[in-house]
Amino acid sequence: MDALASLAHGFSVAMTPTNLLFVLIGVTLGQLIGALPGIGPSAGMALLLPVTFGLEPVTALVMLSGIMYGGMYGGTLTSVLVNVPGEAASVMTAVDGNQLARQGRAGQALAAAAIGSFLAGIGAVTALAFLTPILSAFALGFSAPEYFLLALLGITATASLGTGSAVKAMIGATLGLMIALVGTDPIQGTSRLTFGSLELLEGIDFLPVAIGVFGIAEILVSMEQTQASRAVRTRLRDMWLTGKDWAECRMAMLRGGLVGFVIGLMPGAGPTVAALLAYIVEKKVSPHPEKFGHGALDGVAAAESANNSAAHGAMVPMLALGIPGSASTAVLLAALVLLGIRPGPMLLTEQADLVWGLIASMFVGNVILLVMNLPLAPLFASVLRIPYSYLAPGILVVSLVGAYAISLSLFNVGLTLFFGMVGYLMIRADIPRAPLVLAVVLAPLMESSLRQSLMLSEGSPAIFVERPLSAVLALLVVGSLALPLFNFLLARRAARRAGVEEALSHSSD
Amino acid sequence: MRVTNFIVALALFSLSSGVLLGTWDLPYWADFAPGSAFAPFWVATVGIILALALFVATLADEGGEPHNFPDRRGIVRVIALMAGLWLMVLLIPLVGFISASTLFCLLLLLGIERRPLVPSLFATAVVMTLVYGVFIAWLGIALPTGPFGI
Repeated sequence: MDALASLAHGFSVAMTPTNLLFVLIGVTLGQLIGALPGIGPSAGMALLLPVTFGLEPVTALVMLSGIMYGGMYGGTLTSVLVNVPGEAASVMTAVDGNQLARQGRAGQALAAAAIGSFLAGIGAVTALAFLTPILSAFALGFSAPEYFLLALLGITATASLGTGSAVKAMIGATLGLMIALVGTDPIQGTSRLTFGSLELLEGIDFLPVAIGVFGIAEILVSMEQTQASRAVRTRLRDMWLTGKDWAECRMAMLRGGLVGFVIGLMPGAGPTVAALLAYIVEKKVSPHPEKFGHGALDGVAAAESANNSAAHGAMVPMLALGIPGSASTAVLLAALVLLGIRPGPMLLTEQADLVWGLIASMFVGNVILLVMNLPLAPLFASVLRIPYSYLAPGILVVSLVGAYAISLSLFNVGLTLFFGMVGYLMIRADIPRAPLVLAVVLAPLMESSLRQSLMLSEGSPAIFVERPLSAVLALLVVGSLALPLFNFLLARRAARRAGVEEALSHSSD
Repeated sequence: MRVTNFIVALALFSLSSGVLLGTWDLPYWADFAPGSAFAPFWVATVGIILALALFVATLADEGGEPHNFPDRRGIVRVIALMAGLWLMVLLIPLVGFISASTLFCLLLLLGIERRPLVPSLFATAVVMTLVYGVFIAWLGIALPTGPFGI
């Protein structure tokens, strides 16, 4: 009941004219950013974070989170109409969505995605409203060892639950930790790795790293070739699901939403993994798995429901514990810090207006996005006809102005460009960038809680397994490190067995 | 991809060694608490282990996955864009943020993208109006100005 009363209060905060306006601005920007190939929601949030400096914290956060989940809806447009995922989480939508568009069913694909995203989004925000206070109250008992292990889990889980190489994901995280080491030691006050530079004494800000690694790097990749994609056209009258379509999709939406929310709760997994997993689950339970890859409407519905649900689910650890589970929530956490708010379990009690206003704004934002993606989808689809080359200069200039605005220093602008080059090389070397950004955000908490723990235990690492909760977290960290190794061994065994079977079949020939 | 992986392993090894050497003079343990070099030591150690792991895994991998880099034209476009951005940063103290950004937009649209003049001028004007309206007029951020006061 407490949660319901708080949510009602949250609506009174979210429904003020200013906050409503910024929810609308946020979701519209998110929809556009998601639709534009080459720039994802995390990049968009990082680029636009400086724009929020003059706003009230709650207004700033409703706008930024609007970009986050708006991007999940917007990515569908490009996936279905152009066969290029607008953002990574829409990659599975492109598989079947574009096939449907080629069969003249673009409207149905977009409608299934929009309705699925909406229902899963509303379900996930409802779960978020009830789960966050419980987790937050539980986390009040956490002390330094638990915080260290939780932050460490956030990083190691990114490696084990991500889609690529675990070693490369860990390399990304290590680079992030190295970046965070630069500056003045938070406990002893000595300078570290500054190499005599005064500008580096205060450390490297999160925003130049995020803007460079996400924003600039993505533009550099998109510059490699002239963008000449043609969008399949869609009409308003096609944006409807028949009874048969609805019957085909409704359970896929439910399953996708559930899978997405659970995956979103896990640190490091995020919407991309959620969409991938929901698609695989749906293919397994579908009565027509042969349609998958050739235009399965339930595949589109499951993937899109999952990515939106995961984007909302990732807010639970961020709001309750101050631990971001994805790159987008890492940017939101950085925004909280920049706005002078201390994240953590006390956030819900110290900043009740902000947290409940933010949660309520997500209900409003999802309703606006449903309208944008059903009757207004053809209008947003027309944005895809603007050549990308006219948008790139604007995105780059806004990125650099944003980097300058953080501390009014050209040094930060140079750092942003440097990290843009680093991000580009990471993309080309197949090193995921989200672990780097997560590590930059989590490193200060990790280092201070690690040192505090060892101070309390006079140097004994046993403090990390003495309390039941810390022991469980330590086990999860070990498990998350062992999982990729286990997967590797399983894959090697399967490959060896396949090799033996092939050899046997050749010998019988 | 093998060559790329070897380069990544080597770069990470060098970077980790740099972190170790750069914090060598700092205390690892100070009185009864971890010192300033404690975290850098462990981060660098993990970096070295990961560099070796990537090196060994790449040596053992016989899959021959193709490398992920663009063709020559793509590389030239990326280098040209990066050069344009660094040039813009160098020009900001001399001509101001708005003027340097205008020149950069025109360089990108006309020089690199080879777009027609009128739409390029229009796109540049829209970007500059947006930057001026949001960052200068609304947020009141004092962007560096040039000799003409903009």
